[in-house]
Amino acid sequence: MTYEFSGKSKMWLLIGMVVGAVCLGLSWFSGDDGLHTRFWSNFLHNSVFFTGIALMAGFFMCCSITAWAGWYVVFKRVWESISMFLIIGIPLMLLIGVTVALHMNHLYHWADPTMIDPTHENYDTIIAGKSGFLNTKWYIGGTVVFGLIWIFFLSRIRSISLAEGQTGGDGFEKHYGIRKYAALFLPFAGFGSAAMIWQWIMSIDAHWYSTMFAWYTGASWFVSMIAITILILQYLKGKGYYDEVSTEHFHDLGKFLFAFSIFWTYLWFSQYMLIWYANVGEETIYFKERVTKYPVLFYANLVINFVAPFFILMRNDTKRKMGSLGFVAGLVLFGHWLDFFLMIKPGVLHTAHLAGGDHGGGHGHDHGHGHDVAHGAHESVFELGFTIPGLLEIGTFIGFLCLFFFFVFTVLSRVPLISKNDPYIEESLHHHT
Amino acid sequence: MAKSKDIIYGLYNDEEHLIEAVRAARADHLEIMDVYTPFPVHGLDPVLGLSESRLHIAGFVYGMLGTLTAFLGMTWIFTKDWPIIFGGKPYWSVPAFIPITFELTVLFASIGMVVTFYIINGLGPGVVNPTIDLRITDDKFCIAFDKSEVDTSKVESFLRGSGASEIHSKTI
Repeated sequence: MTYEFSGKSKMWLLIGMVVGAVCLGLSWFSGDDGLHTRFWSNFLHNSVFFTGIALMAGFFMCCSITAWAGWYVVFKRVWESISMFLIIGIPLMLLIGVTVALHMNHLYHWADPTMIDPTHENYDTIIAGKSGFLNTKWYIGGTVVFGLIWIFFLSRIRSISLAEGQTGGDGFEKHYGIRKYAALFLPFAGFGSAAMIWQWIMSIDAHWYSTMFAWYTGASWFVSMIAITILILQYLKGKGYYDEVSTEHFHDLGKFLFAFSIFWTYLWFSQYMLIWYANVGEETIYFKERVTKYPVLFYANLVINFVAPFFILMRNDTKRKMGSLGFVAGLVLFGHWLDFFLMIKPGVLHTAHLAGGDHGGGHGHDHGHGHDVAHGAHESVFELGFTIPGLLEIGTFIGFLCLFFFFVFTVLSRVPLISKNDPYIEESLHHHT
Repeated sequence: MAKSKDIIYGLYNDEEHLIEAVRAARADHLEIMDVYTPFPVHGLDPVLGLSESRLHIAGFVYGMLGTLTAFLGMTWIFTKDWPIIFGGKPYWSVPAFIPITFELTVLFASIGMVVTFYIINGLGPGVVNPTIDLRITDDKFCIAFDKSEVDTSKVESFLRGSGASEIHSKTI
């Protein structure tokens, strides 16, 4: 059976994309900020979020292939389609890289060339010391090189898998081809995602670093990927497709959602506690700023992404019921989007202040002088779009989500939903948890 | 030890045959005493009509008990009983309590569940549980019937018909 991407679904997704485009466009004009910080930070936030989800779908698929796993095979076309979103995501990240190089924005602390000029008053020894890695050449080069490698491997895997779906018999030849590419892809995905997380996200706060950050962000992507997979499968089942995807498959996806929410929390907490305990000023500032200026998000992040999935999905039956599982999947997807908001916005705002641009939404929010977080830490002013997501941010998220679904469903509708010739298809059809 | 039972049992070579046989036996209203397998067979519990174990509920309660013991215990110790300043942190340092809270939660839940499991199943030091056939710990799957509850000849023909490789009677 092939998924038919109906005109009505397309229309709704297009409407969502238009809403997103309008919101993104409005954020360009939001405030008097000449650097359009709100626009660029929203753009980066959503691009990096969905690019990572695509990468994680490919990564987990390749892990499963390499581990001889069979349970997921019945819906493997969904993961293949999600992983193909890299074709959109990588150009979006590249666009950000190019605009950073052209100084069209101030997303990254290190992007100001005067900071590494020893004769300039802005000279910053920490930035200069890291400038060997934190520069536009590495940023753009890494995005292009890793992006192409990821897309190459995942496209190869998908094309062999499609060929297998058409002509594969009971032989394993095609499957061995997939296994070879999957195993080779894993180190590139593992090390590459870490390097690109440092570039894309962690280098926003270029003075700060955490060795756990790549893991923590990767876990956030991973949980979001599982959540979005659950939502897509529930939608397709609701439309009458994928009768073969049973409660058992959802149960296992629910376990992954549960387990990796805890894994994410473990990494989040480990990073937080070590920094809190060591209490080194350069490191603590990262959390100090987030706790004092973004208290709602800071604690909501933990409640939505840990407490809720932990207690709701703990029981056996809540993982097997479509209502509770779908609710948690939606909640956690939004929660991890908030997590990325919290990773990106504070650092970008800080950089924008240093660069002299007011961030537009500021209402008497220490104009004029640099944004000295150590002294400004007592203030806790909620500003839509800056310290908490406003309507434009939500709209932009909806737009990107619709773009993502539009792409995934378009790719998915091209071939039959189930690969009849995969050697593991029988195992998957008779899956028992 | 409880009083001895006369049982009749069939051995199967394959878990698929076992599940089919269990299903057929229940359809025939033959009262199965127990099923023995060398490893957990997926999907056997619902076929046998076993209700879901409530052990995990006990586990949750033990876990919460561990959480509260650790967290409230440390709170009392470090704020009332013996306050010490570590690394310039406040007495009541929640992040520092989390790892130990986690450890005690796991410890209480796991030990509590193991003890509960042993008590419910009548296991423990010195308990001798008869093994029906040594090969059920290796490669044989066994369905056992209590002769006092079923018609022996009917069971025998059922076992023969459902693909049992061996049929034995025994007193345990």
